[in-house]
Amino acid sequence: MTTRTKRRFGFKRWVLLGLMILGGWLAIGVQGIFTPISPAVILPAEPFLPGLKLFPGTAFETTFSNSMASLSLAIVLLLILVFFVVQPFIRRRQDVPSGFYNFVEMLIEYFWNTTQNAAGKHARRIFPFVMTIFLFVLTANMVKLLPIHETIGYLEPAHGNLTGYDTAKLFNLGATPVITLDGSHETKSSERTAEEHAVSEGEEHAVCEHDCFVVPFFRGVATDLNFTFSLALITMVMVQVFGFSALGFGYLTKFFNFRTIIDKPFFGLMDTIVGVLELISELAKVLSFGLRLFGTIFAGTLLLGILGVLVPVLIPGFLYGLETFVGLIQAYVFAALAMTFMSQATVSHHSDEHAEH
Amino acid sequence: MNDPVVFLQAMRYIGAGLAVIGVAGAGAGIGIVVGGAVQGMARNPDMAGTIQTNMILGIAFSEAVAIYALAVALIILFV
Repeated sequence: MTTRTKRRFGFKRWVLLGLMILGGWLAIGVQGIFTPISPAVILPAEPFLPGLKLFPGTAFETTFSNSMASLSLAIVLLLILVFFVVQPFIRRRQDVPSGFYNFVEMLIEYFWNTTQNAAGKHARRIFPFVMTIFLFVLTANMVKLLPIHETIGYLEPAHGNLTGYDTAKLFNLGATPVITLDGSHETKSSERTAEEHAVSEGEEHAVCEHDCFVVPFFRGVATDLNFTFSLALITMVMVQVFGFSALGFGYLTKFFNFRTIIDKPFFGLMDTIVGVLELISELAKVLSFGLRLFGTIFAGTLLLGILGVLVPVLIPGFLYGLETFVGLIQAYVFAALAMTFMSQATVSHHSDEHAEH
Repeated sequence: MNDPVVFLQAMRYIGAGLAVIGVAGAGAGIGIVVGGAVQGMARNPDMAGTIQTNMILGIAFSEAVAIYALAVALIILFV
């Protein structure tokens, strides 16, 4: 082992370099199925399979979207980690923890310490929520970086501003043909005629052969506004809940502050206006929470897609590194901000002022 | 100008470009945040951990403004 590491030019790096050159040559030099295709950017999530519905026939009928599929993947991964990796460690009662358990313990200890510094005696109630958000968003962001995301899917005829591609059949998987897009035969949206469009819409259930794009089976969870905004709404509602449970109905004086308006008319009025502003900022926090997570992750997906077309070699590797970092930071920021807001809500505005003076 | 579809598309690109100007402010903000944090860390290396945590939070706050601009641009372009 030691002699091998001393050798300056190992074998593996030449394999790596060869693969990189091969990839570059296939992507740029050869026209055909290896030519990178520009990503089909669609803001709302698409259905996992065409026409797949959850709870069909009831009032709760919803489309099972590809972001929900990715979400299920993240939840399953998280459950596997909890029950098959972390739980056995706890059951074995080892004195010296090792491996992945150490990592989880480090994360939890770090968040526990920060929560306790910020929230004090309320930390025990706030901490589980914060930690759940962190682990959930982190797993979702990491799952989003798996190569199955935004690559494998079913074909749909291109519409709107999307660029369509011709298809090329690779092989049969059982009875299902495995088809790839031919990057060298593209149809720009401006070249598409109305007549052609009508034809492709007519044969909806036939396999698309010309002017197609891929609707992926899996799509990053945070690239769906529904996920980020529901998380943001849950968080802000829980902030109010923690505020109420800590301060009782006195919590409402944060928003509707008429206490001082009789003693000191001018500053009392100011306090009232500040309370209204506080109410507005509470709503703005929902917007900021939701858009921050969505924006960074969606922009990351776009960046990977577009730069992957422009520079198909070397750069995407670094971008994946960057995206890993961004996913971690966004999960941390979401959890840390939730923690900050919750611990702020548990502190009475007035008693704090009196304590300072 | 004669083709309304092309005109709309052109206006979309212009609008998205204008929306992304807002990113400039966030760039300046992040620069100020990191500058202050690095100065603090240089003067008081013991507090580096705490300062770094708060710095990342501050960056996230000012970055959020850039993200709004970006989200607006993306929505203009792709919806």
